[in-house]
Amino acid sequence: MNTSETSQNIHEEIVLLLPRLRRFARNLVRNPHDADDVVQVAVERALTRSDQWRSEARLDSWMFKIVRNAWIDEVRSRGRRDKVFLGEEAGENVGTDPIEGEMTIMSVQTAMAKLPEEQRTAISLVLIEGLPYKEAADVLEVPIGTLTSRLARGREALQALLGPEGEQV
Amino acid sequence: MSVSDETLMAFADGELDDAARAAIESALKEDPELAKRVARHVALRQRVRVAYSSELREPVPQRLLDAARRSPAQAGPATNIVNLKDARDARQREAAASDVAAPRWRSLAAIAASVVIGFGLGYASRNQGASPLVRSADGALTAGGSLATALSTQLVAGQSPGSAVHIGVSFLAKDGEYCRTFALSGAVRPSGLACRHGEQWRIESLGQSNDAAGSGYRTAATNMSSQTLKAVEERIEGEALDAAGEAEALHKNWRK
Repeated sequence: MNTSETSQNIHEEIVLLLPRLRRFARNLVRNPHDADDVVQVAVERALTRSDQWRSEARLDSWMFKIVRNAWIDEVRSRGRRDKVFLGEEAGENVGTDPIEGEMTIMSVQTAMAKLPEEQRTAISLVLIEGLPYKEAADVLEVPIGTLTSRLARGREALQALLGPEGEQV
Repeated sequence: MSVSDETLMAFADGELDDAARAAIESALKEDPELAKRVARHVALRQRVRVAYSSELREPVPQRLLDAARRSPAQAGPATNIVNLKDARDARQREAAASDVAAPRWRSLAAIAASVVIGFGLGYASRNQGASPLVRSADGALTAGGSLATALSTQLVAGQSPGSAVHIGVSFLAKDGEYCRTFALSGAVRPSGLACRHGEQWRIESLGQSNDAAGSGYRTAATNMSSQTLKAVEERIEGEALDAAGEAEALHKNWRK
């Protein structure tokens, strides 16, 4: 395969990954517009560095990592993480009033939004995106033991938030 | 056999090697309590996955498709974008250049376009004598009669081409209210947007469908007047509800 074919492929493979990249970015960033902006930055970065991608590696893991790094850079460059999260968390508590608590079915999305970021990203990569532990640990740049403990704590928290319905299905 | 929760989790995630998996499998046969714990992990995994599956069917904004298909050389200085402000500025420039093609509008239209609805014959003949479809109270218009009923009970997925009221898209507005677009069958085909306000559906926008002359099947988007589309675009928070989201909202009686 020559170089131009390879580069042609990577464009179309990234196109196929876009829905998953957006979904992952939304779990990371939460504001859907910012999430799409992060995906766009990540796609542009990935294409300028596509020579760094080893074709035996999973393209999805590589892209998830670039998405995550794009977001980390954004947070650092603006130093606005606290502001963003405070604002969003204040809004998230709407609708969980204890009076209607029993009647309210908490959606999985609402429960996910309540998790700490490190647990949410672990759940997102393994349960939603279906990455093996090793790949997910690599995306998050943590040892596999750290990944599994975040995953276990995240699951426990979700189970508690979602209640017994999680046991049915 | 005592098994740690992390091991069970790894079992549910298919992460154990053959020997460890075989050991758990045989333990499961003898220990119903263990089987229950595994079932919990599997069920949660499925539930989370299902909850996020509809996001994959959302249309991808054109600007992301363009970014993926552009070669780095073509992107020029834009490849050095490191913060969202630059990306946002670039997006706004693009949007300004193409006028109507704002990303949110595009994705809404694409969702609406996927909801194909058809129109039956005039509702007028079927609705004579029924309570008025639109009432005026305290200076605001609210839905009544079969329009109110349809807004409260009709799911897009279940509506028949012949029904008097057709629901186009449902969404959660920025102020936390559920809103739905509707169109009535009949010669003038009134259409509009209604938002749930307490126990009432308040009419936020009312106009005539674009294509009063046409008939048969068309998309929800083409059935909305531009006025209604504008009203939707001003209010919508995120994306329109999918079938599951709509069913959930109905189940909660359109209260958040």
